Amino acid sequence: MSSIQSTIETTPGAIPASTGKAPGNTPWTKRLFPYLLLTPTVGLLAIFTLYPLVQGLWMSFFKRGIVVVERAPATWPKFVGIDNYIRLFNDPDFFNTLAKTVGFVVIAVPAVTAVSLGLAILLKNRFFGVGAVRAIVFFPSMISLLITGVVWKWMFGLNSGLMNYLLSLIDVAPVPWLDNGTMAQIAVVIVWVWASAGFYMMIFIAGLTTISEDLYEAARVDAASTWRIFTRITLPLLKPSISLVVILSSVEAFKVYELVVSLTGGGPGRSTVYLIQTIYETAFTKANQAGVAAAQSAVLFLILLVLTAIQLRISKEKA
Amino acid sequence: MTTALLSSRAARDWAFRGPLIALVLILFLLPPLWLLASALKAPNDIFAWPPTLLPSPATLVNFATAFDQSGFGLFFQNSLFVSTISAAISVLISLMAGYALAKFRFKGETFFFMLIMSALMIPLQIILIPIFIVLKDLGLLNSLWGVILAPAATPSGVFIMRQYIRSIPDSLLEAARIDGTPEWRILFRIILPLSIPAIAALAAFNFVWRWNDYLWPYLIITDQSKWTVQLALANNVGQWDINWPRLLAMSVLSVIPTLVLFVSLQRYFMNGLLSGATKE
Repeated sequence: MSSIQSTIETTPGAIPASTGKAPGNTPWTKRLFPYLLLTPTVGLLAIFTLYPLVQGLWMSFFKRGIVVVERAPATWPKFVGIDNYIRLFNDPDFFNTLAKTVGFVVIAVPAVTAVSLGLAILLKNRFFGVGAVRAIVFFPSMISLLITGVVWKWMFGLNSGLMNYLLSLIDVAPVPWLDNGTMAQIAVVIVWVWASAGFYMMIFIAGLTTISEDLYEAARVDAASTWRIFTRITLPLLKPSISLVVILSSVEAFKVYELVVSLTGGGPGRSTVYLIQTIYETAFTKANQAGVAAAQSAVLFLILLVLTAIQLRISKEKA
Repeated sequence: MTTALLSSRAARDWAFRGPLIALVLILFLLPPLWLLASALKAPNDIFAWPPTLLPSPATLVNFATAFDQSGFGLFFQNSLFVSTISAAISVLISLMAGYALAKFRFKGETFFFMLIMSALMIPLQIILIPIFIVLKDLGLLNSLWGVILAPAATPSGVFIMRQYIRSIPDSLLEAARIDGTPEWRILFRIILPLSIPAIAALAAFNFVWRWNDYLWPYLIITDQSKWTVQLALANNVGQWDINWPRLLAMSVLSVIPTLVLFVSLQRYFMNGLLSGATKE
């Protein structure tokens, strides 16, 4: 496979040098062909992703009341420079949400990294049924977080949930999982980690299989402890996979929304309202704030951009 | 001597790992199994305290309620329609773009590749407002076609197809060109059949992505008759007085398509990810 790949890459010009005398295939249409092939993808991305991004950034410099502007000139957006951003940074509610979201990321990302690395080490070696166990752990990451939220809301019920029943068996009083602000935030982290760990576990398993078994064998001959082997061999050699998982999961964690919709609805109170929900509410349910919502989106975009830039840098260093 | 040493180490290893693996299985199987068991209980039994672990007797009455009372059949149909068509479009246009980027040298090749990949950095969540305006201008609000078209171009799909098509030998294409085969025929008669594994993986991934979409349809759809499964679930779980028996049955039904795809194409789902991750 790799030898085929390298021959392709070293052969310049996949198109034969002779432009061909094929009937109905003039060189001109041939040169146009790759552009035709790209048109649907580039067109859809331009309309539904790239143009909206530019338009969204542009909007963040305008005072815009409602999302859909009517034809009457009186309601047209007015250029206000960076006013929306100034408003944003003087808005304690926005800062509160931003801080809560960062708090979620700071707790959930190390948690999911540790859990998925642990799972990968546990399920790295082949044994009978390992494929099935990996699949069972991986499957939740294929289900929508909305459904996962429903499943766990049912697990976390105060007086009828399985979790509190299991706790009652060991004489622990019922935990108000979703009825107390702090507990609800913890519950969101637990469910998010449960739902995403399988995906990142597969990245770690891929990384672990690149570490030579000889290294472990040599360490065992030297009678190194399991902990020493882990900190001196596994962790350093797994650094690229760890950075990848940390960045990918950070991006996902900043976008946490669907899970909250079903699990807590943002509550109790507003304790589990994170950035995406705030942007949506500012844009579509508050009056006169569409420009502010565009500025909020720009802040989130900046955060994700920095994370992606770090990831690109890391993968370049690796290469 | 060495084998005895090895096996004693293996035994110690298993004494440690066995219980851990059992714990992992319980943690990851308990929630879905509890969902299924609860959905199969009679509506009055599901709140019983202490809870009964297994439904006795098992009944499908909650599933019947989901279809009769909430029109779940229609939402399921809408979701199937959206996911199937969107996956088909995505696979077709990714195959085309992937072929262009893998097998042609043309002006702007790198530019187009970077342009498509840069879209990976722009999640829907940060373009909610402008995309709403675009969809309104195109008359795609409150239409399933808006839900289908807006996310149909997938940069990761283009990337997967490009990588796969690169491994197809050029000699095959050149032989066809010398025979005077038109370019479109080369794409559909040579490239497409040889790319079936990548196409299958991509179709499955796309179906699941679109099946799971919540924010797109939430933004676009207002009529209840056009709800997808995820919208129906969100609406039911958001009610003050949740109808749990019905909601649990709906949740079980919503997982079935993903489960069927995952069990039959598990190899693709988990291997595709592995190669993608190592490619980083």
